[in-house]
Amino acid sequence: MTRRMKPFVIFPLLLSFSLLASCAWFPEAKEPPYALVKSWGEKGSGPGQFDEPTGIAVAGEEVFVSDARNGRILVFDFDGNYRRQIGQPGEGPGQLGRPMNLEISADRLYVADFWNDRILIYDLSGAFQRGIGERGAGPGQFKEPGGVAVAGNGDLFVADFNNHRVQQLSSEGEFIRQWGVTGETGFLAGKFNYPTDVALDAEGNLYVADGYNDRIQVFGPDGALLRKWGGPFALNLNGSFNGWFATVTSIDIGPGGNVFVADFYNDRIQKFTLQGRFLTAFGVEPTGPVHTAMAVAVADDGHVFVADFDRNRVEKWAPVR
Amino acid sequence: MKHPLLIITAALLWSTMATAQGVRYELRVDGLACPFCAYGIEKKFKKTKGVEAVDIDLERGLVVVSAGEGVQLTREQVERIVKDAGFTLRSMTEKTLP
Repeated sequence: MTRRMKPFVIFPLLLSFSLLASCAWFPEAKEPPYALVKSWGEKGSGPGQFDEPTGIAVAGEEVFVSDARNGRILVFDFDGNYRRQIGQPGEGPGQLGRPMNLEISADRLYVADFWNDRILIYDLSGAFQRGIGERGAGPGQFKEPGGVAVAGNGDLFVADFNNHRVQQLSSEGEFIRQWGVTGETGFLAGKFNYPTDVALDAEGNLYVADGYNDRIQVFGPDGALLRKWGGPFALNLNGSFNGWFATVTSIDIGPGGNVFVADFYNDRIQKFTLQGRFLTAFGVEPTGPVHTAMAVAVADDGHVFVADFDRNRVEKWAPVR
Repeated sequence: MKHPLLIITAALLWSTMATAQGVRYELRVDGLACPFCAYGIEKKFKKTKGVEAVDIDLERGLVVVSAGEGVQLTREQVERIVKDAGFTLRSMTEKTLP
């Protein structure tokens, strides 16, 4: 004999579940979207032109952009005036294969070089300092690194894309620890599916753009998982609702302590609190099947800079007061 | 005397080029809209012996692989490379280059 739940029990349960789901999984915006105030760039290989911009970072009053297919980093002021080039294509010391997400820390530019399986470090004028890592799946080795973050003590955190892990290394490149299982994808907590980028907040918490899992995972300084978000239960359900993702390709934490995420297939940047509460989203539609919002960086004055992969340009967005 | 020399040189160059036949493969790959994916697959083909050039057309989901003279890529080999990069090969056509 089977027991059947009475309708007067089922309906309140369903109603409660629906209300909970609508609040948690389909949040409304808490802020207006940002406004596009400027853009610059076009396809090409000349000064100030791009052939697939894939990473972006800001320092002082300059914007640094990964110009992937041209194998270089381009530097502009905040108004889009071209200033200089860093690196050149190749496999030699200081040369770039496919530069991806960027990080600037203590007047050093850190470049995740996807093709050459290493992190390259330059000073901000463009002088090459050194490279860290080599191809492999061992400690301190990489398979197509996508992004890097640098702690106050100089430790590096690397999104090791094709090894499905995040590594913490000393400033000299010595292995300290890792998150995720090398070479294994997974959608449960603490596992990764092609991590693309990382960021650190002021407390030393680690934010991982878990690329093809369509979510953000956050780990404390002790290494323990603190939280994750992106769709119901953050279990690799992609979508275009607020707070959901469809391939996260870049992450940055702004000066106000908010998290900005490049949601590539949804052609938008999403803004969250550090706890993962959705605040707003903004972006532009693509001109074709290739998408726009590839990488994001936030300046100290609150402007958000976006590498628009589709249009081969940089966009400058401002908060609407 | 200049003209006969030029003609002979041109003829020699032409004969060299004519024998240097290669093959161009056009691969349709599902889900090739993300740059991380595209660069991964491009890198794998560039490291394949005999492959001389790889062009990725993200807009059409097309990977164009040019192989050198005497190099033949089998469908199984191409499928494996595409699968290793995390994708599915939808179709493959090949054309012998002049």
